[in-house]
Amino acid sequence: MIYKVSYVVVDGSHPGAIINEDRPPSVGDRIRFNGEQFEVVEVIDLLPPRENFAYVHATCEPIQESG
Amino acid sequence: MTTTDKLCRSELFSGLSPEQVGKIAALAEEVVCQSGDVVVREGETGDEVYVVGEGMVEVVVPKGSIPDVPGPPRVKSLVELGPGQSFGEMALLDRGVRSATVRCVEDGTTLCVIRRQALLALCDDDPQIGYVLMRNIALDLSFKLRHRNLRVRLEEGGGAG
Repeated sequence: MIYKVSYVVVDGSHPGAIINEDRPPSVGDRIRFNGEQFEVVEVIDLLPPRENFAYVHATCEPIQESG
Repeated sequence: MTTTDKLCRSELFSGLSPEQVGKIAALAEEVVCQSGDVVVREGETGDEVYVVGEGMVEVVVPKGSIPDVPGPPRVKSLVELGPGQSFGEMALLDRGVRSATVRCVEDGTTLCVIRRQALLALCDDDPQIGYVLMRNIALDLSFKLRHRNLRVRLEEGGGAG
């Protein structure tokens, strides 16, 4: 199964991304877009699976990196 | 990973047999881009559809324009597209100019480039490929619209559900 994931950043600080993943995202996962790091805070099934694809939405929040 | 393998991981070709995807892969050219490279530019004509094999691209549009103000034009980023995602399909269908600029944001990004005329000729020769491809393009555009709607809703402070 390929997971087509719509990542959306909650405060709009990043445009989000659409990426095919080998596993579904989970709450607490950390993901990096273009050098910025985000944490997944919500995951929902966006559409019913079709053929070899599942369709997932993940809401993300920016992580303030220290140091 | 072969071009066929990369295309098989794209929803655009979901539902096609490996042999059918192989026919499409035979039409494709792979190009490697570096961060900052502009792949397509808004307003220009173009007759290629692109599939991201590896890496990431960013879709941007101008964010207003103030004539006579020096400095680089301001742009609004719409979305980043990673492995398996396609772009350029709107021009494939409607033959209009590019509606947005797409630029590479990761070094070593690999793109599979398929020319419109060759792809449509294959669809004419094999209508089953044509049907599946057009259905998948519609589904992909629908998914992108859902992503945009969720983004607008979250930016305005609502929930995703």
